[in-house]
Amino acid sequence: MADILFETKGVGKIYGTNTVLHDIDMKIHSGEVIGLIGENGAGKSTLMKLISGVEAPSMGEMFYMGKPYKATSIINANQQGIGMVFQEQSLVANLTIAQNIYLGREKKYSSAGIVNWGRMNRDARTALERMDLDVDPGKKVRDIDMATREMVEIAKVLDVVTEAAEGRAIILLDEPTTVFSDDEIQEMYKQIRKMKAAGNGIVFISHHLDEILEITDTIYVFKDGEETAVFPTKEADMNVLYEKMVGRSTTGEFYVEAKQTVPEKDVVLKVQDLSLFGAFNHVSFELHKGEVLALAGLDGSGNEDVCNVLVGQEAPTAGKILMNGKEVRFANSYQARKNGILSVPKDRRDEGMVSILSIEDNITISSWNHLKQGPLLSSKKLKAAAEKWIKEARIKCPGLKARISQLSGGNAQKVIFARALESGCQVLILNHPTRGVDIGAKQEIYRLIREMTEQGHAIIVLGDTLDECLGLASKVIVFRDGMVSGSFDCPVDGKPSQQEVVHFMM
Amino acid sequence: MKNKWSEMLDTLSVDQQFVVKAENDAKMDKVRRFAPLILLVVMTAIGAVSQKNFFSWANIVNIMYQMSIPLVISVGLSFVLLLGSIDLSIEGMMGFAGSFVAFLVANKSNGNNFGILGVLLVVLIGAAVGAVTGILHTKARIASFIVTYAVGSIMAGIAVLVYRGTPIQVTDQMFVAISQGKLFGIPYITLIAFAVFLVGAVIMNYTAFGRAVFAIGDNETAAASAGINIARAKIKVYALCGCTAAIAGVLQCMRLKLGQSSLGTNQMFPVVTAIVLGGGSVSGGKGGSLQSFVGVLIYAELANWLTLMGVDTNMKKVIQGVIIIIAVALTVTHDRKTVAK
Repeated sequence: MADILFETKGVGKIYGTNTVLHDIDMKIHSGEVIGLIGENGAGKSTLMKLISGVEAPSMGEMFYMGKPYKATSIINANQQGIGMVFQEQSLVANLTIAQNIYLGREKKYSSAGIVNWGRMNRDARTALERMDLDVDPGKKVRDIDMATREMVEIAKVLDVVTEAAEGRAIILLDEPTTVFSDDEIQEMYKQIRKMKAAGNGIVFISHHLDEILEITDTIYVFKDGEETAVFPTKEADMNVLYEKMVGRSTTGEFYVEAKQTVPEKDVVLKVQDLSLFGAFNHVSFELHKGEVLALAGLDGSGNEDVCNVLVGQEAPTAGKILMNGKEVRFANSYQARKNGILSVPKDRRDEGMVSILSIEDNITISSWNHLKQGPLLSSKKLKAAAEKWIKEARIKCPGLKARISQLSGGNAQKVIFARALESGCQVLILNHPTRGVDIGAKQEIYRLIREMTEQGHAIIVLGDTLDECLGLASKVIVFRDGMVSGSFDCPVDGKPSQQEVVHFMM
Repeated sequence: MKNKWSEMLDTLSVDQQFVVKAENDAKMDKVRRFAPLILLVVMTAIGAVSQKNFFSWANIVNIMYQMSIPLVISVGLSFVLLLGSIDLSIEGMMGFAGSFVAFLVANKSNGNNFGILGVLLVVLIGAAVGAVTGILHTKARIASFIVTYAVGSIMAGIAVLVYRGTPIQVTDQMFVAISQGKLFGIPYITLIAFAVFLVGAVIMNYTAFGRAVFAIGDNETAAASAGINIARAKIKVYALCGCTAAIAGVLQCMRLKLGQSSLGTNQMFPVVTAIVLGGGSVSGGKGGSLQSFVGVLIYAELANWLTLMGVDTNMKKVIQGVIIIIAVALTVTHDRKTVAK
């Protein structure tokens, strides 16, 4: 094969106490398209961030064209010949296409601080033609459609890296096809083949396995931050990919399955034909007392949006939500809580913790209305509630009055769980409850979830992995592209395999 | 790059490092919280050493009297700043409250004599207008500095309309008594201001509402996801701020026995600065009633000291500006992630 353009040796990344990427060896050859697949949180995007200079690796080495490679920023990586097209588009909508392509590189076109827009537009046209794009570079980005924006974004990156390392550049594409129609995807393939023929190395991330099989030469499979398989695309088929991606299932003991409750008859929450325009359509399900219901699906499949609607953060476009048989509508999370639905948010630090308040206040924040003495908060009641949960949830902390920001990830998460339990809400929505906590804390959280159902709470969980969804839930509903694609009963002795379910996700 | 942590890098696990760092942060935080108190002590010491009159009872009473109106303003404004918002309607509200109360109690312009009822009505209107401001801010989603500026402008305008161009002179006996009365040598106005402060402190520190304001100011998303009623809390905050601004306006009118729109002029920004001096933050989530008190006191001491030193008024302004910049620079968090806006 052609020579190696880029190589990682034992690269990894640690955030706080959490290893998200471990020991990655990857070789990108000249003229090669690499497909990178894995579940959400498998570490694909993290690796891309390390290569494109967004973050620095915590371990390992990288080499570019045989020399040790280090990028201090995206721009720095660009100047060396490595560019990335991000999942979320990064074009500035109120600038023109040309201004976006040369954003940060205007110097080339300016003298005495005055930019020669005509010359910039001419060069932009060349950059766009390289991608067979026939749009006016003087148009504002807000006036072009999403698919064209994506192509402009790629044209921009291609232009930057071509300038730095023509024919030996590395181009990273993170789910570039999400906004494309079938024809546009074909056009995209054509462009990738052109970049490839020029000798560049390309990394292509997608959840659509057919695309991966179509366009790539080599496939890397990631699982929980590790590289679980590497093989040439011609030796792969869908089933092999599914199998490698989900990996081995964890034992039932890990998920405390012995304590999984059988859901009771009473329906606590009923969702009928619920839709949110542009996010999910026609979703119906029932949630029973003592049940753990998992909503499985990839990022953007609609499962998270369902939860946002259930806690009042979004207003549904159509459909009904019934609590204990009565139709409800929430304008905000406060009304949802009043009606008995509370969520444990995904992003603990940004959406869950109030870091200037004490552990005690963070536990009781959703229950202040009950913990009063006359018009004032009762410090005795607050203390009693906090003490009770610190004991029950085994929260390790320096004291009730210590700030929650002093706690480690797992203990902080247990505080948020304690808050949900103290609130007395019937329905608890656990949005990625174990994200970013170590394995010991994970198990304690699973144990807490089992205790919640024993006490009669009904739980909706968005799991971090499919394995977790299956392990915890007594029923799994699978989302794909905003629709329910399948649903599985998961009794303790008859859990479906991950392979059976993953087909409905991708 | 080397810093104080570098030698611990290899001796501790990342887990242990996290604990060390969190404890250090907590310690630094404590130091920062005490910085305004230290500043107050230093300020007092400088005053005492350089001016022998500084510690005389007469001067202490004078300082307390000077800080009365700012203290009342600071009660409501502290809540607003805790949210990370601003209330620019305070000055207009003070002007309105002062003018309207002068119109209602015994005065030289008309036959009204509503006495204490008039005072209560004005304070109530202050709270109601504040609540409307809060509703416009939360429901119509108008940025706080715009909506409060507009409301302030409306109130200042109404103030002039009330007295139709000629400020009203107050003759009400209660006003005269309060403005001149003293208890143990402390003016009634100061005592009223301290009482308002105490009520504000209790609301801030011992009610669910007060604690919700802290939570919203620090992390509104988290407070919302915990099921706190954000809109209601914000409306209450503006109502409270309107209420204390109205009280400040009434007190101002008592002092001058005159009702006019300019009663509130240049009253708000010194208080914002004082609150920041005390450890508050205009971006929210920091400070508290005690911090505001210390800030207002520092500000009053500074002004008093400069007067005692016989510093020229314009020079005074320059010195005050410089001291404020230094003091605030010393007390704010120097975190890379913190954005100054």
